[in-house]
Amino acid sequence: MPIAQTRRDVLLSAVALAAAPILPAWGQRAGVVTMGVITPTTGTFAYAGDLVARGASLALEMHGGSVLGNAVRLLTRDDEGKPASGVRRVQEAATSDGMRYFIGAYSSAVGLAESEVAQREKLLQFAAGGSEDFTGSRCGRYTFQWSAHPYTAMRATLEYVRKTFPQKKTIYTLTADYVFGHALLKYTKIVAAELGFELVGNDNHPSGERQYTQYLTKAVAARPDILLLNTAGADAVTAVRQFASFGAENIAVVGPWSLEVDQLAELAPEMRTGLVLGQNYYPDIDTPANREFVGTYTKKFSALPGYSSAYAYDAVRALLMAMEKANSTEVPDVIKTLEQMSWDGVLGRMSIDPKTHQLIRPYFVVRCKQASDMRHAADFADIVANGDKPQPPELNECKQMPAL
Amino acid sequence: MLWLISAQLVNGIAIGMIYALMSFGLSIIKGLLNIPNFAHGALYALGAYLCYSVVSLGMSFAVGLAVAFLGAALAGLALDRFAIQPVSGSGYLPQLITLFGAALVIEQALLIGWGTVGLSYSPPPILRGAINLGFTIVPRYIAFASVFSALVISAVWLLIERTKFGAYVRAGIERPETTQALGINVDLLLSAGMMLGAGLAGLAGGLALPLVGATSTMGGDMLGIAFVVLVIGGLGSLYGSIAAGVLVGVVQSLMTIAAPAASTAIIYAVMIGVLLLRPQGLFGER
Repeated sequence: MPIAQTRRDVLLSAVALAAAPILPAWGQRAGVVTMGVITPTTGTFAYAGDLVARGASLALEMHGGSVLGNAVRLLTRDDEGKPASGVRRVQEAATSDGMRYFIGAYSSAVGLAESEVAQREKLLQFAAGGSEDFTGSRCGRYTFQWSAHPYTAMRATLEYVRKTFPQKKTIYTLTADYVFGHALLKYTKIVAAELGFELVGNDNHPSGERQYTQYLTKAVAARPDILLLNTAGADAVTAVRQFASFGAENIAVVGPWSLEVDQLAELAPEMRTGLVLGQNYYPDIDTPANREFVGTYTKKFSALPGYSSAYAYDAVRALLMAMEKANSTEVPDVIKTLEQMSWDGVLGRMSIDPKTHQLIRPYFVVRCKQASDMRHAADFADIVANGDKPQPPELNECKQMPAL
Repeated sequence: MLWLISAQLVNGIAIGMIYALMSFGLSIIKGLLNIPNFAHGALYALGAYLCYSVVSLGMSFAVGLAVAFLGAALAGLALDRFAIQPVSGSGYLPQLITLFGAALVIEQALLIGWGTVGLSYSPPPILRGAINLGFTIVPRYIAFASVFSALVISAVWLLIERTKFGAYVRAGIERPETTQALGINVDLLLSAGMMLGAGLAGLAGGLALPLVGATSTMGGDMLGIAFVVLVIGGLGSLYGSIAAGVLVGVVQSLMTIAAPAASTAIIYAVMIGVLLLRPQGLFGER
């Protein structure tokens, strides 16, 4: 049977074919805003993927599922904790699903790779991660950074240690061998000099390492006052676990960006007692927005939220607020609005530094409790300090934000 | 510097013994069934979870280790009966794929049964703290784990070399057809060998619990190292894996002195080097 029997059929077919490539974009304008949640559900940061997705979906749900009369569609994709996979997922979601906004990644290495796609495809990325490059040498107009700057994190954490343990002066660092760890190590050196600590040694370990006793043997032999973990995720959990077996109780374990609430449950109480940890987020933060978030999250998921969920929740919430303030769902309008916006987020009054796209925010320090002091199963720690000292401008390498 | 080398040597031997225990079970299964057991890592993880569950119920760590061994051994038996034997006549590849699938099933079952959050267990009080050797300190638990691994390997060696059962196993590995012709039930022998190898994987998982915790994906991390150890030791050598396990532990540990970030990569470099110079492995035969 012929495909087109009449001239009218031929013309209609031609129109349909010509329209096909522009249908996703037309779909965007026709009332659907597509947001991606690009996170790891496999790999070293596998624990975080579902938690990020939970936070994003909760923010959307609490906002009524739409913005400016447009339905908001959330796509979830697994970046596997690998830059190449992350780039592929972002590109596919942008091309095939019309995604124009995305939350991700959770790992700096992945997020920075995805940032290149965001600039090229003009997608708004709200990232998390500990690398300074997001808002430094690889800053971009389309990328915003929710997590604290590593300088802010290191300064807040070590300032607490300096004040609380004035007799502890020497630091041995264990550093994850990728951008995240390198950034923390760089700022360990800077902040240690500012606060009068002495660095007595460092070992870089590969990401995904499961055997730490060889590093810890070296660290313990150097007799430092502090073991500083510039590593995160499953790596930090394993390192803490194995350090506990050394019984070196005179060495304080400090993680400026190592373990969040979701991972503290993975450690036996005696392993985490006394740990000093820097936190991008902690459920006890006392702000109206956080109380509402924690209440709703706990009711829905029967668990306390951690950094992963809070990041996604707050980032999606901020994006929806920015769209409403801009009265537009177009990416350039939302970017311009975010750059000038200040809002009550889960961490308190928050805003964006338009020169770097770094979220201006506090960073929290917690100290883990003994099992006997815990009021409930997830009452792991007390917030003991916070700090918001921004990166000194002379250290920032973001030269100029490009035009949209 | 000498003390640092000595310290890393001690650490490497200790860690190497755990690698050896894991690889020894893999080596037994490889020898008997002539297939690499891709489910070995999952059995290791199963052992860790079983051990955790037992100690969580208030029972002793020793009972936990025994249950880790027995539980993984039974899982090994189930694997043999319901996964390997049904496809044993179909050739090498279907068995490999079946084992790979079985590993995924076990991992998913662990996730469903114990959840996504990793689990930790501190060793019994008597095994906490460290032993001061003067030039270095060694965590008591690491020392215990290495001595315990050495004892288990010795016991299995005695079983294989000094008992009738062991003689059957060796005969089954070297001349399966002749063994069958002599009236020995080789299928039963293979099942017993699978149980023993799987049990050792479970025991290694239980033993590793205080060091690496229990996570559903922990088997994948360990399986890579176990295969490297197996290849370095020699695929046909039952005992090559013991020496290779210690070698890998020591090399990995010593590398931390010179280039810490390369301490994992070095074990693969050693494997490539061994394969280039001696393709059959250090103790294998052509």
